[in-house]
Amino acid sequence: MTEAIGWLLDVYVEEDGITLWLLSDDDRRLRFRMDFDITFYVAGDFSLLRQAWIFLKEKDVRLERTVRRDLFLGDRDVMSVTSFSPAHIQKLFSELQRQFPSLDYYDVDVPIALRFVAQTNTHLLGRCRITLDEEWVDAIEPLSTPWEIDPMPIPLRILTLTPDCNPAIRNPNQLHLKYGQREYNLPLDSPRLFMIGLKADLQCLDPDLILTDYGDTWLFPQLSTWSKETGIELNPNRDKDRQVLTRKADSYFAYGQVTYRGAQSYLFGRWHIDRRNAMSFGEYGLEGAMEQTRVTGIGVQEMARKSPGAGITAMQMLTALCKGVMVPVQKQQVEGTKTLTELIRADHGGLIYQPLIGLHGNVAQIDFSSMYPAIMVKHNISPETVGKEDVPEGLVPKTLRPLLEKRLMLKNILSDLNPRDCRVEILKARAAALKWLLVVCFGYLGYKNARFGKIESHEAVTAMSRELMLQAKEVAEDMGFTILHMYVDCLFVQQEGFRRPSDFAPLMNAIEEKTGIPIALEGVFKWVAFLASKRDARVPVPNQYFGAFQDGTLKYRGIELRRRDTTTWVRKIQLASLEILAQADTPQEFADLIPNVTALVERAKRELRFGRVPLGELIIRQRLSRAMEAYRTPSPAARAARQLQAQGRQFAPGQSLEFLFARNASGVHAWELEEMLAPGMLDTKRYFKLLDRAMQTIFNPVRSHLIEEQLFY
Amino acid sequence: MGRTLITITQLLTETEANLSAFRRTLRRSDQYVFDGLFAAARRHIAAIGQAESLLPFESALLAMLLEQSKEIAVLEQKVEELIKRHD
Repeated sequence: MTEAIGWLLDVYVEEDGITLWLLSDDDRRLRFRMDFDITFYVAGDFSLLRQAWIFLKEKDVRLERTVRRDLFLGDRDVMSVTSFSPAHIQKLFSELQRQFPSLDYYDVDVPIALRFVAQTNTHLLGRCRITLDEEWVDAIEPLSTPWEIDPMPIPLRILTLTPDCNPAIRNPNQLHLKYGQREYNLPLDSPRLFMIGLKADLQCLDPDLILTDYGDTWLFPQLSTWSKETGIELNPNRDKDRQVLTRKADSYFAYGQVTYRGAQSYLFGRWHIDRRNAMSFGEYGLEGAMEQTRVTGIGVQEMARKSPGAGITAMQMLTALCKGVMVPVQKQQVEGTKTLTELIRADHGGLIYQPLIGLHGNVAQIDFSSMYPAIMVKHNISPETVGKEDVPEGLVPKTLRPLLEKRLMLKNILSDLNPRDCRVEILKARAAALKWLLVVCFGYLGYKNARFGKIESHEAVTAMSRELMLQAKEVAEDMGFTILHMYVDCLFVQQEGFRRPSDFAPLMNAIEEKTGIPIALEGVFKWVAFLASKRDARVPVPNQYFGAFQDGTLKYRGIELRRRDTTTWVRKIQLASLEILAQADTPQEFADLIPNVTALVERAKRELRFGRVPLGELIIRQRLSRAMEAYRTPSPAARAARQLQAQGRQFAPGQSLEFLFARNASGVHAWELEEMLAPGMLDTKRYFKLLDRAMQTIFNPVRSHLIEEQLFY
Repeated sequence: MGRTLITITQLLTETEANLSAFRRTLRRSDQYVFDGLFAAARRHIAAIGQAESLLPFESALLAMLLEQSKEIAVLEQKVEELIKRHD
């Protein structure tokens, strides 16, 4: 018997059991095998179950009759089916379900890593001690928990591979390699030499993570092509018995927009992450993805590519497995019947108060911290507990509680650190990764396909949030504050003579005492502007504002600067204008600085007119919302796509297009076209219009403070 | 996300659209005032929603009245101040 201690990197299924990868304390990458039985459950009509039993007797499985818990129905008589071959479970289930579609199936599609985590009490990227019988795992003991605030850092070897251009536009000439402090290029002109070079590097460096740009969509497919062409076998996996796993590209509709996801290449024994094809990677990077992996039990490669929704679903499954609750294959809970009055009462979102339009001085922004998750945990709101009193903690609060506590602790540590401390960035990424899991958790209560969702629990959360916001409003008004704006979980309040953060402390304490939910002061604005609708200046728009805190930091929401389809040029000028205005300490000083801003804008326009603005700053980015043939009046993005289609490019809905506004027949010039836009063909007027619109946003709140000649349009 | 009922914002937009013939027949100057009524209602979308009424437009009318009363109160105050200053 031998023993190994280290970090658990990966778990995946084999024909007979599973494979584990451990990064050991003596810096070795060890591959182990482990026997792993998989059990799923079948329930339903008794005579059908008997037939299913007979059907399964022929297969290589162990059958038992037992009692297991369904989250909503309570204890059920079920048939447990145990297979010794994890790789065959899906096939077996498909056959069974085809024969007996009306039976209820549980615990069938739980990912292997989750089963492993639930059974061994270890966690991915966690520390563990493994006792071995040759390469087979005899016992495994956890040495850490996913909830540790300061986990021991994993000494990962990271190899970064980046082509010298976007391969979708033109063929790259070389691949840039970065490993630790070393950086060099491999030329791509001879595939043979390139393959030999890369193969040698992979062998010699033996990275744990291959971090790429366009690895999913270009490098790995290209490696396989070159491998066939040159006869040089290059297997980028550390597990040499495996080939690269490829998943197809798709377009899907989520969060109100069509999104395109390119084909994906997964590795075994080491990870591959394509930064250009990983959904949330831009938001919180590798540290964030690793934090999510620790708490969700989904592998790093997948977590980096998947939405936080997949993460929270996995966490709920894990809680269910640990609590002995079965995970249904399909959602079973439908919306309960309601009268019209009940529906009108229940079917609301968060409380959104229309702001008081205009520029206001000395305004405090107060936020409830993680309001919705905090409500779920404090009031025990879960699909199976909604509407019931004095019941044990539900599945959702049980899943969220440690997550909520961990994020709060990370935030507390962050607030005590000097912003220049080297730990700040990593802690921020980890806190953001946890925040996203918490954010989507609420949505999943009401999502039609969520396994542990029930719309009533979703409605209970929003109802509670509205009540708490109204309580906060009443407390603030009792203490003499004016409510300028309220938005779901934050309030903007003002009172004559109140300007220092400590002036607002009694209010915060009173709100926290009344509602029982933690509250934080985001900051005190020297001035903040709430905006009116562009259509009617008398109609306020919620959650569109900009303001400067007392230390001069700007905060803005819903304005051009925040929009993805705003050009860099407009964004830069709007930001520079706000930076000028951030020097103002009062609304009146704000108005006095307007001439400086108009001068800046005039200068910027001159620069554009004389062609001194780099074209890259004028790129407009828009998404294709449908298939190309479905456009009747093509949007600018579709017109740009047509120009590229003429050169043989293909487009799917959700793909984003870059173009310039041009003075030609189609009005646009696709950025990826090989020929550059001819000088003088730029539609400057169109860009002036975009800029004027953005500047109007900034000037409008102070129109009443300004005299006519200060306004330049 | 996945709401069954229309929101108050949608309700006001729909009602306004249904009244488009009414609005069109008004004089241009009256149209501006008419739009102001809806703008007034839009300042109280949260309250109209919270009223949980079967006929939310009733609450919208109340919101319009409320804004009007507010304006009258402000004007009254200004008149009083002017009178005081004049005296």
